[in-house]
Amino acid sequence: MKSATLIPSKLLNTDNIMDRRNFLKVVAAGATVVAVNPSLIRGNLYASDGALYKAYEKTQLVDAAGKPIKASALLKEVTYIFNYPYASTPCMLINLPQPTEKEVTLKSESGESYVWKNGVGKERTIVAYVAICTHQMTHPTPNDSFIGYVPKAKKTMAYDKSGVIVCSSHLSAFDAGAGAKVLGGAATQPLQAVVLEHAADDTIWAVGILGQDKFHDYFREFRPEFKEFYGGPAEAKKLVSISAKTVKLTEFTKEVIQY
Amino acid sequence: MKKLLSVLVAGGIIFGSLNAAETDHRSMLMKDMRTMLDAMEQIQRGGLYSSTDEMKAGIKKLQGTLKTLESEEIKFILPKDQVYAYKFAQKSAHMLRLYSDDMITSIDAGRMDNALDDYNQLLKQCTSCHIRIRNW
Repeated sequence: MKSATLIPSKLLNTDNIMDRRNFLKVVAAGATVVAVNPSLIRGNLYASDGALYKAYEKTQLVDAAGKPIKASALLKEVTYIFNYPYASTPCMLINLPQPTEKEVTLKSESGESYVWKNGVGKERTIVAYVAICTHQMTHPTPNDSFIGYVPKAKKTMAYDKSGVIVCSSHLSAFDAGAGAKVLGGAATQPLQAVVLEHAADDTIWAVGILGQDKFHDYFREFRPEFKEFYGGPAEAKKLVSISAKTVKLTEFTKEVIQY
Repeated sequence: MKKLLSVLVAGGIIFGSLNAAETDHRSMLMKDMRTMLDAMEQIQRGGLYSSTDEMKAGIKKLQGTLKTLESEEIKFILPKDQVYAYKFAQKSAHMLRLYSDDMITSIDAGRMDNALDDYNQLLKQCTSCHIRIRNW
């Protein structure tokens, strides 16, 4: 009587079976590729050593006409908006007046630490954050925006210094040059950061999101709004692919409200 | 002397009418807020007693109070130190309308989970505005 686990000898072709050495080579090569460019894998990199990162499709930032945005052409201290990683999740792109801090350790609401590396660009001044406040999810819409960067020359009620990101709904302030860590107000964790890549040809790419994921709550909470602006929840949840249209906040929305 | 007297009387009348207008606006706001509270309780009661009619009646009552909050009149009824933030109050009113409209759609479609979500959001808009405007 034949055992069900026996493999017929004619199927045993040793040429097709990967030996242990080859298997280890493939694993090592894969790990190297991912280490060099985390955006090559999709899914959570949710490690206990400080990373709280989710990779999404690598997406190029382009202007309203579809032309690639060049880092050197970004105006200083102007809030630009692009939707990433979903069709309805707005992000801020800002070219700060000075280089950002490096290797900033941040803490999520649930107590996990993670590291925001730094800004990109020639002078390390370009940053991007998800423009959904971590307090009560205030975000820019085509009608109005209560969240944005306050240039150094302007004053804000949310913090004693300007040059910060302010959510004017409940006056939370975030440090634009340090991973959007909370400076004041009701928010209890940093804004999620968009991980950017600055290519040799001066183009800018979004590759992933760093920080505690708020998207699920956002989709649930603003379901009725998605009908108004995106045609429905399903359209709002579509992942952005290839390129993301990037425009000034003042072009994205009818009214910017800043206190 | 007569002139001085008439100036004083006129001033008194103007001051009095301004004061009365302010009191009118304040009492209007307080009345609206009481109606809103009543409406929220009615929606909740309807949900707990499985009465969609009661829920819808509560929603209609709530929507009846939004006109003032959505309009420029809101500037006259907010606390003086919060008048600058009237846009925020208007936004809250807009969101209340959005969620209450969606609640009716959800009830009519029999999607009670969505209706419950909408109710939670209505409550959140109320408390969010109170935290901001009334320095809660």
